[in-house]
Amino acid sequence: MIKIIYHLIVLFLTLNLIWYLFREKQFWAQVSTAIVLIMFLLRLFLIK
Amino acid sequence: MSIFIPIKAKIKKHHVIALGLFGLTATLCWLTGSQFLSMHQKDTFYPSAGLTIQTKLSEYFPQLADTPGDTDVYCFKGEEEGGNLLILGGTHPNEPAGFITAVLLLENINVSRGTVFIVPQANLSGFTHDDPFEGNPQKFSIETPGGTRWFRFGSRLTNPIHQWPDPTLFTNAAGQALSGAEVRNLNRSYPGKEKGHLTEKIAFGIVQLIIKEEIDLSLDLHEAAPEYPVVNAIVFHENSAELAAIASMELQMEGMDIRMEASPPSLRGLSHREWGDFTKTMAILLETTNASHGRLKGKPSEALIVEGKDPNYAKASRLGLLFVPYSEDGIPIKERVARHLAAVHALVSGLRELNPDLAIDIGNFPPAQTVNERGIGLYLHSPK
Repeated sequence: MIKIIYHLIVLFLTLNLIWYLFREKQFWAQVSTAIVLIMFLLRLFLIK
Repeated sequence: MSIFIPIKAKIKKHHVIALGLFGLTATLCWLTGSQFLSMHQKDTFYPSAGLTIQTKLSEYFPQLADTPGDTDVYCFKGEEEGGNLLILGGTHPNEPAGFITAVLLLENINVSRGTVFIVPQANLSGFTHDDPFEGNPQKFSIETPGGTRWFRFGSRLTNPIHQWPDPTLFTNAAGQALSGAEVRNLNRSYPGKEKGHLTEKIAFGIVQLIIKEEIDLSLDLHEAAPEYPVVNAIVFHENSAELAAIASMELQMEGMDIRMEASPPSLRGLSHREWGDFTKTMAILLETTNASHGRLKGKPSEALIVEGKDPNYAKASRLGLLFVPYSEDGIPIKERVARHLAAVHALVSGLRELNPDLAIDIGNFPPAQTVNERGIGLYLHSPK
């Protein structure tokens, strides 16, 4: 159960980041978002 | 057609950049993720035709079933009654000579008298990750006549994905207080705990194997850094002192320099101490020299693991800082495995000398000298 809650939190934050990535107009802010997104995507898909 | 025109009009430059960055992010995740997940790919072994039964550690301690600690146990039983021997490799997955010696034996031997149990990856979980900040390769390769075989190079400790978090201070089942990370060190967790952490359960399972199979002689194969005093050594429990002395003399006569180290009664949680205290087995730990997990090593690489060459250690040797001779030629894995093989052979011979009823006849035992001269690959099964 706790794993599902953890996944849901990470999924929510990941979707927020993707939304922000597409909404943001400044290039360097987009790059920063993409860098943070890597860690969240890895968290989302690499849980053993 | 008219439906698509407004959408196309809405696509702006920052959307295209975002899409490109998202694609780049996904690619990076795929590349790093697939490399990370490859650490969970299992090593492949090819047991010899002499194998009687292949089982799991959970056979001896059912709570380990379906856990990352449930490792393979290979049993070679002779037709005649004799002694029972346990050979443990991979207690520390960053000490490859112990692991490879166990693999070499299970892929070659047949037993006509007595029984031999081989556990090549005692801490299977430790094989699924690397030590952070070490930069070690995830695998190393050995050439065989039929192609290249790869083997995992893991961590000294259980994978934190399988056992987490570490306490600040760890008091092991034998009552010794240690630093927190040692809670994941199999060779600090003996005799183990039935209801403990995963590593303690693995230790408990191994002790159950020794008890249930009435193992007469138990060998734990390790490696140590060249700057560590207990290196190229037989570490023995007091119940196996005589056997260790016989084997040591035989090895010295063969020209192999090996030191004897008595297991300190106050150093608790280690195989050579707790196996002897908690079971009737003769407990022995063997150490060879491994530069790839020493503190003085230079750049970690597959070559360092296999060839054992490191200029830092050669310099340290010239400065008199090491406990073993170490030249520019290094100490290759074939030499380290040959040392283990020679020691195992000498200990089995010594057991027969001490008590003929416990004799173990092992056929097709890889000869240490040939392994040292011609390499490990000659005695490894070709990859399928």
